[in-house]
Amino acid sequence: MFFALMGILAGVVIGLMLPYTYNAAYSLYISVAILACLDSVFGGLKANLENKFDTSIFITGFFGNAILAAFLAYIGDRLGVPLYYAAIFTFGGRLFENFASIRRILLFKRKHKSNE
Amino acid sequence: MNNTKKPNFIILIFSVLLGVFMAGQFKQNIPILAPVTLRAIQTTKNEINVLNKEIQDLNKMINDKEEQLKVLESIASGDENIIDILIDELEKNRTVAGFQEVEGSGIVIKMQDNMAEGAFGEEYDLDIVHDIDVLRIINDLKGAGAEAISINGQRILSVTEIKCGGPIIRVNGKGLVTPFYIKAIGDPKLLNAAINAPNTYSYALKNIDQINIETTVEDNIKIPAYRGRFNFKYAKPIKEGD
Repeated sequence: MFFALMGILAGVVIGLMLPYTYNAAYSLYISVAILACLDSVFGGLKANLENKFDTSIFITGFFGNAILAAFLAYIGDRLGVPLYYAAIFTFGGRLFENFASIRRILLFKRKHKSNE
Repeated sequence: MNNTKKPNFIILIFSVLLGVFMAGQFKQNIPILAPVTLRAIQTTKNEINVLNKEIQDLNKMINDKEEQLKVLESIASGDENIIDILIDELEKNRTVAGFQEVEGSGIVIKMQDNMAEGAFGEEYDLDIVHDIDVLRIINDLKGAGAEAISINGQRILSVTEIKCGGPIIRVNGKGLVTPFYIKAIGDPKLLNAAINAPNTYSYALKNIDQINIETTVEDNIKIPAYRGRFNFKYAKPIKEGD
């Protein structure tokens, strides 16, 4: 949890300092991809807490989900159907599920410690 | 040790990557994207058209004013006589106002009551030309771009009334009787179409009520001047800058 927050903060700072920008037309795709990445990070945190973390699964999930979400948004734009909703609902829902699991695990650990 | 450190490290790296992406998105300063509907596009298009029209009108006005300015300059330098220019202006204004006899191409419409024996509907009311019939035909003519209109020698102006007066109709305060000769100067094709095209008012009048309507296209129609006087008691011009 701590590492992820620190990493995101550091990344934002670095990103704001870097002089790169991209075409505003892609911002929808990027934002959906960011949501997918966020979900992957939360999933990774959860797996880490459960001691089930697998590096290759995490990395493929991180990039795969992001690319798939962006691609879905793009296809949706071409077809005139807002397909990116699929990505938003899936990853948004999973984000909250993962967060709930992380919360439970952390709370459970603390209780366990205080009981001892 | 290595087992617990490694995932944290990887998560840290990817979090940084995620943060960089997010920062990119922050930097976009994306305005709220409202969905653009076809209707909104249409509305915007219309607005653009209206604005373009306005610009055109304004440009025209600028040209007019520049011409006026040139005239005034030539007066100032003594090239032209101010009286000639004022007389020119007066003639122009008289023509526009309808105080000048005008001629040009256009159509003549003759309207007469239905004189047949077994009249339509056996009702006299439907067989005669009413004030409203004349009024509507004149409106159609105006819509077709008529520049000057008269009925039986009475010039139609903005103050002209067309009222029922029993067996007559009253135009410019004068009683007129059938047959009515409506003369209109303008594009003959358009004026003819406004009267004779299917589904126009006069077409219905002619074919359903059997009113006699004859139109002739002529190259040279003379339309007399308005003979009355304007006496504005209530309407006062607003001075610019008031």
